[in-house]
Amino acid sequence: MEGRWDRTRVLALAPDASSLRAAQVLASGRSWPLTGTADDSALWGECLGSAATPYRTVVDLSGPAYRCSCPSRKFPCKHALALMLLWSDGTAGPNGGPPDWAASWLASRSAKASEPKEPKAPADPAAALRRAEQREARVASGLTELDRWLCDQVRQGLAASQRYGYRHWDDIAARMIDAQASGPAERLRALAAVPHSGPGWDSRLLEEYALLRLLAAAGRAQAGLPPPLRDTVRSRLGFTVRQADVLASATPVRDHWHVLARRDLDQDRIRTRRTWLRGPRTARTALVLSFAATGQSLDDSLTVGTQTDADLAFYPAAVPLRALVATRYDTGPCAPPPGTTIGGLLAGYAAALAEDPWLDTWPAVLEVTPARAPVPCLFDAAGEALPLHPGAGDCWPLLALSGGHPLTVAGEWSPRGLWPLTAWDQDGTAVPL
Amino acid sequence: MNSWHDLVTASLIGTERSVVPAVAIPGLPPAEDDPGDPAAALLDRAALLTAARRAGRRPDRAEPLPVCEPDPRPVVSRAAGLRLARILGGEHPDLLSEWLAAAVRRGLRPPAQSLPALLDRARRADPGLRSLVAAAGGPRARWLARLNPDWTFVGTPVLADEDAWRFGDPEQRRSYLAGLRARDPRAARKLIAASWRGASGDRVMFLSVLADNLTPADERLLENALADPADTVRSWAGYLLASLPGSALAQRMATRARGFLYLHQGVHGMRLIVSPPARRDAWMWQDGIGSRGAVALTTQADRARLMLEILARTPLRTWTDEFGLTPAQIAALPAGSWAPVLLAGWSRAAIAQRDQDWMGALIGRALTGPAPATAAEIEALRQLARRADPALGAPDALPEPRPDAPPVIAAAVLQFRYEMLKELGDDNGS
Repeated sequence: MEGRWDRTRVLALAPDASSLRAAQVLASGRSWPLTGTADDSALWGECLGSAATPYRTVVDLSGPAYRCSCPSRKFPCKHALALMLLWSDGTAGPNGGPPDWAASWLASRSAKASEPKEPKAPADPAAALRRAEQREARVASGLTELDRWLCDQVRQGLAASQRYGYRHWDDIAARMIDAQASGPAERLRALAAVPHSGPGWDSRLLEEYALLRLLAAAGRAQAGLPPPLRDTVRSRLGFTVRQADVLASATPVRDHWHVLARRDLDQDRIRTRRTWLRGPRTARTALVLSFAATGQSLDDSLTVGTQTDADLAFYPAAVPLRALVATRYDTGPCAPPPGTTIGGLLAGYAAALAEDPWLDTWPAVLEVTPARAPVPCLFDAAGEALPLHPGAGDCWPLLALSGGHPLTVAGEWSPRGLWPLTAWDQDGTAVPL
Repeated sequence: MNSWHDLVTASLIGTERSVVPAVAIPGLPPAEDDPGDPAAALLDRAALLTAARRAGRRPDRAEPLPVCEPDPRPVVSRAAGLRLARILGGEHPDLLSEWLAAAVRRGLRPPAQSLPALLDRARRADPGLRSLVAAAGGPRARWLARLNPDWTFVGTPVLADEDAWRFGDPEQRRSYLAGLRARDPRAARKLIAASWRGASGDRVMFLSVLADNLTPADERLLENALADPADTVRSWAGYLLASLPGSALAQRMATRARGFLYLHQGVHGMRLIVSPPARRDAWMWQDGIGSRGAVALTTQADRARLMLEILARTPLRTWTDEFGLTPAQIAALPAGSWAPVLLAGWSRAAIAQRDQDWMGALIGRALTGPAPATAAEIEALRQLARRADPALGAPDALPEPRPDAPPVIAAAVLQFRYEMLKELGDDNGS
């Protein structure tokens, strides 16, 4: 077992700010006449609330998964969070057997976990095939429509884009959703902000339109593409590969994966967590995605600054980055990862672009010093510099950690600049930014 | 790359009204003339150039910053750093100065990544917190402050000499006086006495400086201040005199207060009877309570307020001596509807007189007795919890609350402070 979690890790599970506050208030021994833990793998407790009987809360830390008798629909609810905070502080206990009401739920969970997972065969293979063919046809006609729309924009001129409202892009995005091409739809919706993104917006809009037309052309010609590139094109169009298929078909890559950085994004009521890993032995970088609806918590099992001995299964792609954790063997602390130079980062990105021209988020681990002029930026020992992403602002905590000295920084490189996510301080401790 | 610029210009105008510029990428054959749709040709050339521009990006140059001088102090423990982040994130924000003061006392520095949030917090805070942040932040905070105009207060030089007293702003005058009082209390008293006449606007500040390390030698100065025409000055002086054990005012208050609160032995056991003064008399004004003149108190709220002021200024030993009971026993006595007034008044007295027995007794009572309900009681408990011996926050230091008592804010603050100071104290040994 990996032992007790620290407070930050528990707090990160909170589905929203109000449950976070409520849990902190509840996390006092006085509200919990009964708490217990089983070897840091499960927690249970009774919490005094407004109801006549105490709420009964159980947490299975291997998931983590939660169960509480309170009426809240949030997962985890404030009671489960508060119970985990108590445990994190070392004040939950004693260690021992769970009471019956907790034991029965924990037992049903472990039974479910040990059940062999039979891949569910489609109910009607013929019908499934027909649906798949229909979707291919719909996407193909959607791409033709997208291509026509893109050419119309350029024919009429992009100068008018600053006067358009969100509707302009939402309409075509909605038509892509109808055509089951969710990838282009997502990119199109994001474009509405570009005309108001400051100087250079015209250049950025043209880049995006050009790459979309390239995607549409590649989508229609996918039969003739080499298989890895075809996989990339299909995933960018929105065709998903089932996790079970990835686990079944990919050769697992085992390494002591260093958890470099994490970034959470909120869009359209879905929260996405991007976690970047690097394997020192295989020299591979991996991206693990986790999704959650509002009010639910994201996967928190990969902690920045630690390493995980695990098998990863990579999704098929021309530049395989996205991966699933197939088997996890061990987790432990680790030293800062070795950083590269700016030149090394750019060369790596250029090589990846040659395989996947749509790639616009590329992991960076750099040995650099932050500076503020001519724009907020990072420079390396050779004096070469890259700007920070304008959305990352001044990044004062990064400056404070550096004090004008070089340090290791992990982040995401994009054509607009580097978004710093983690820095390692003088003592080699990872600090999320 | 000019050809990209040309493409962007053409795309802005639109291919209906412009020609699609040719693009040349070094190492690639020139694109063939596309006989088809010019818009499609423009987008294809743009796609090619986009990939080429992204892959061929050259690094920029930067102007390095000056290097920060080293800070010899060790950083606080990880747990203490995380707690600081919690405080800065809004949990018990009023404990920030205590965290900083403890770190400074133990020669530790906060984690560097917390400095920007600390500086932002100090920017909106009073000068006391600002100087604490500057002291705790050390050279790294000064280095950051030179980069951000919002934080310049960190580098402001302190006028330490008499110029600060003669020409400084109120804050500089205050810090000069406080420094003098720490070095030479007699000289500080003389300076206050000599400046009193001409400085009616500064008198409250003088008294607030005296509040730190009050000694019997300050009594005469304070007794003189009781004759001041300003109510705030007299109120401060009365409050300080009351917290000075054995002062004449404390004895006067004790004599009078005995008449307003006494023990009653009834059939159901002992209880406290409050019999507040019905009118505000001249002596009250002279001892810094309320304004000049005798006024009849018409409402219950007026009487409660006056009773609270009297209790706050009465030496707490009055009650233990008078009733022959411990503070915990007195705090547990039933007092009916007067209980909130007693709690608030005694809390203020316990804080002013730095009486840890009473602070512990009052907090213990709040946990085991009827739940505090009024805003005044809750605020009194919060103040108590901020000043009480943090050891009260240790596990089992306070009585177990009744099972149906809601979590009491004071207990949470005490527990938080106890852990906070333990984290900062442990660092010293390791």
